[in-house]
Amino acid sequence: MNSTNMLLAAPELWVMVMACVILIVDLYLGEERRGIIHMLAILTLVFAAIITLRADYAADGVREAFAFNGSYIRDTMGDVLKLFSFLILAIVYTYAKFCLRQFRMFRADFYTLSLFALLGVMLLISANSLVMIYLGLELISLSSYALVAFDRDSRLGSEAAIKYFVLGSMASGMLLYGMSMIYGATGTMDLGQVAQAVRSVGSDDPLLVFGLVFLVVGLAFKLGVVPFHMWIPDVYQGAPVVTTLFISSVPKMAAFAMAIRLLQTGLVDMQADWSQMLSILAVLSIILGNVAAIAQTNIKRMLAYSTISHMGFVLMGLLPGTAMGYGAGMFYVIVYSLMSAAGFGMVILLSARGVEAEKLDDFKGLNQRNSWYAAIMAMVMFSMAGVPVFVGFFAKWMVIKAALDAGLMWLAIIAVIFSVVGAFYYLRVVKLMYFDEPLTEAEIDAPVDFRAAISLNGIMMIGLGIFSSSLIAVCMASFGA
Amino acid sequence: MPIYEIVFYAFSLVMLAGAVGVITVRNPVYAALCLVLTFFSASAIWMLLEAEFLAIILIVVYVGAVMVLFLFVVMMLDINVAPLKEGFIRYLPVGILVAALMAAELLVLIWSKGRFEAGAYPLPAPNPEEYSNTKAVGEWLFTNYLLAFEVAGVILLVAIIAAVALTLRHRAGGHRQNPSHQVRVERDERVRLVKMKPEPRQGS
Amino acid sequence: MLTLTHFLTLGAILFSLSVTGIFLNRKNVIILLMCIELMLLAVNMNFVAFSRFLGNLDGQVFVFFILTVAAAEAAIGLAILVVLFRNRQTINVTELDDLKG
Repeated sequence: MNSTNMLLAAPELWVMVMACVILIVDLYLGEERRGIIHMLAILTLVFAAIITLRADYAADGVREAFAFNGSYIRDTMGDVLKLFSFLILAIVYTYAKFCLRQFRMFRADFYTLSLFALLGVMLLISANSLVMIYLGLELISLSSYALVAFDRDSRLGSEAAIKYFVLGSMASGMLLYGMSMIYGATGTMDLGQVAQAVRSVGSDDPLLVFGLVFLVVGLAFKLGVVPFHMWIPDVYQGAPVVTTLFISSVPKMAAFAMAIRLLQTGLVDMQADWSQMLSILAVLSIILGNVAAIAQTNIKRMLAYSTISHMGFVLMGLLPGTAMGYGAGMFYVIVYSLMSAAGFGMVILLSARGVEAEKLDDFKGLNQRNSWYAAIMAMVMFSMAGVPVFVGFFAKWMVIKAALDAGLMWLAIIAVIFSVVGAFYYLRVVKLMYFDEPLTEAEIDAPVDFRAAISLNGIMMIGLGIFSSSLIAVCMASFGA
Repeated sequence: MPIYEIVFYAFSLVMLAGAVGVITVRNPVYAALCLVLTFFSASAIWMLLEAEFLAIILIVVYVGAVMVLFLFVVMMLDINVAPLKEGFIRYLPVGILVAALMAAELLVLIWSKGRFEAGAYPLPAPNPEEYSNTKAVGEWLFTNYLLAFEVAGVILLVAIIAAVALTLRHRAGGHRQNPSHQVRVERDERVRLVKMKPEPRQGS
Repeated sequence: MLTLTHFLTLGAILFSLSVTGIFLNRKNVIILLMCIELMLLAVNMNFVAFSRFLGNLDGQVFVFFILTVAAAEAAIGLAILVVLFRNRQTINVTELDDLKG
């Protein structure tokens, strides 16, 4: 290993150093100068993006580069996902600053913990060995557990945190048991070598199959798909809305990358096995997520069930095992993260001093209170429902097309039927905003950066939809499709 | 060499008994102590597998730090144990069934076709006398696993931040020292010069 | 003659016991945390055994990292437990039912 190799990981090193710097700078700042922490965090993200963009490994047709003895990989998929992580986290911070101030929780812990979680996201995206996958995942999980309990005096927050913690640790245990079997069968941690060893051992080795089952269980839990979804609604509802905003957006991209690294890089020869397991998970998630969401009156809980169904769609992109499908899944997960950030951003916007606007009724008559915000929320809902022209439609369409190309007609039909069922509860929110009387006439007020971010985020729903082809092309190119 | 078998079976039995204790006893303090017993026996079995460094680490880190932390928390929280065990008997048959099924599946996998018998995985020769397991693990940690090692450090840092952020509270009215304040103190804050008239000596 | 089978069997039994423990002690969060530690011990047993019989150190190094993470996890888990107890004066899981739907 030489020093140029180490420089490949420069974005990670930068984020790690800055998270520590913020931790220390905070000691010297008084309550009234906390804004500096926010500026530093945004600066971290901007420079991390610049460092990532200045990658020169991709010269002369090389598509990927390795560092740290093959345990770290830089490739197009990783870079694109990381750049979107930075963008979405910057949006999240802009929403969070406003929210934390309103709830009198503006502490630097939120920024340091979420930056360390971002570091975990980046490492997981770039992981090329079982060890790095485990460590990246745990870095995200441990930071998230703490963020869920961030509001220390909240009964719901601590209940959600303990549930999340117990179930999450169990899932890690399962994942590790699977990893131990894969290691036993192949004798290596490096995912590239695992793939070679699987080829020589034969993919029907019962040890490998058992290991795969445990890996998929762990993966399914982290993605939050049925039947390993129990934690999602409770955590989304119980956590402070800033935390929900964070854990519903950025870590999902890491979970997608983890699935790609484990299943596509490592266990690609067992595609027939994992494809079957994933299809069951995907179908159950799409059905249960959409049906259960209809019964919800709490918007955080409703969006949680909607997450479950969206993750079902992401799995649908993965399971055909084609480059087209992977690209579609990647496009879907990026789009989902943007939609989710906008959705919870709106919840934050409507939260008046110290009270979260978590009831669906809080959205009643939003159009009369402020028509622009109502329009943004409507765009987000249309996009999540998959109405044409909006970006969510293209995401669903690409995934369903990938399933059809692989001959999975039944899966595509179920997906379409339950998207229509799901449209009902998204459109109910639109109906509440435009046709109901508002419960309050209170002014909706937010600082200028918040207004800019949420407007940008809302416009993306339609802008990315109209100009979706370039982003889709990038996603497809990541997998050589 | 029957001595290996004797050591293996003796410690395995103690370990499994400890594990059964952890999941059945009523009092969390006993459960923690059973877990300590389990870890000690596991450590001995790892010695058999010539993983000396990990065997020591298991005792130092787990028994020495993690279990003590558990005991601290158990004793700090005033927990009423009785209601926590309700329904234990009711779930017991199902629990045993789950355990039996799960163990059966895993054991069928492990025992099938002699997959892991000595033919496929012969016992390697014992390491030579001058071989140091600690040195070997250390060399791997700082070469092949350098990035992972750094990340493990970050994970520990996150644990510190999280534990402090979640549990540190300053009581109102508590008297705390502020070292930076103490160091920066000025003369004027501590000494007050008072002008007063000279007074005649009392008495004589 | 001890073979890999012996050690893997031990790991499998320990793993099943820990899952049973999670099943039986659904009410007491502290014992749940201990069962999770047992589960990790089972995993570690597998890794150490494989590492020995495959003759490479990767497994042992992985166990080193699992121990590190498990210590961090225990610290955070117990911190959350303390916060929970402060807010609700109980660690009984069945009393945790504010989040439903």
